[in-house]
Amino acid sequence: MKKLSVRSRLSTQLSLPSTSDIAFLLLIFFLATTIFDLEQGIYMVLPGQQSQSVRVRRDNITIVKAYADGSITIDDKAIAVSQIRTIIQGRLARNDKTVVVIETHPDADYGLMVDILDELRLAEARTISLKTMLGNGVP
Amino acid sequence: MAFGQTQKATSQIPVASMADIAFLLLIFFISTTIFRMEEGLPVALPRAETAQRQERELIMHVWIDKQGHIAINDRVVAVEDISGVVMKVLQEKPGLIVAFNADERCPYSVVSDVMEELKKANAVRVSFTSEPEAAANAAADANAE
Repeated sequence: MKKLSVRSRLSTQLSLPSTSDIAFLLLIFFLATTIFDLEQGIYMVLPGQQSQSVRVRRDNITIVKAYADGSITIDDKAIAVSQIRTIIQGRLARNDKTVVVIETHPDADYGLMVDILDELRLAEARTISLKTMLGNGVP
Repeated sequence: MAFGQTQKATSQIPVASMADIAFLLLIFFISTTIFRMEEGLPVALPRAETAQRQERELIMHVWIDKQGHIAINDRVVAVEDISGVVMKVLQEKPGLIVAFNADERCPYSVVSDVMEELKKANAVRVSFTSEPEAAANAAADANAE
């Protein structure tokens, strides 16, 4: 005996319950990947062309030198980066007019200068001057 | 006389609106996410604790890679051309901040030369772009794992 064929009806409905699952998955993806871009940096104002040079008393100047080999000196005494903050804080406590000059060797890493600048900012040094070393910097 | 009916408080959280909230958040993140394309030169920024947030609208990026190549607005430029480029931008944005996106291993002489050019253009507001110390440490830990 021949069986009667059963016609299957194709449903035309979208399965809506799963859309919320997809939405949650996409939400998790965007939450995980979104980076709110921030511009961060150490802000400085350079002397302009019209700026006049200011004479500073020698006693008020502290020179931090950064050499090509990565070594640092404060007034020709070798120190480590981590010591800068304490030394400068001490000098600022004794003389609040202290001007710190960062003298960097042309072949020194830029990162070394930023490390020094960061330490000076942490020591709350307000007047900082950037200078490029002439020659090899040996006095 | 009618008897007072006792009302039973439901203790269920309505979950039907969760999908709507998810969709709203999804639309927010889709519309605000910017897939940033790499611009400039590949650099490893130095780290700093005292880095401050800068106004994005006023910033012009100067990229300097480890070899000392300089790029401004996706174009590699020679040191002597910097003042001309900066002067034009400075006319449009008077409070311009030049952000140094320089590689921590690049020679300081290049940064110094760029600063001299900026002084010529009278662009005196600069920012040494750096990674915050905490974020940099987290990235280093992730790489170690």
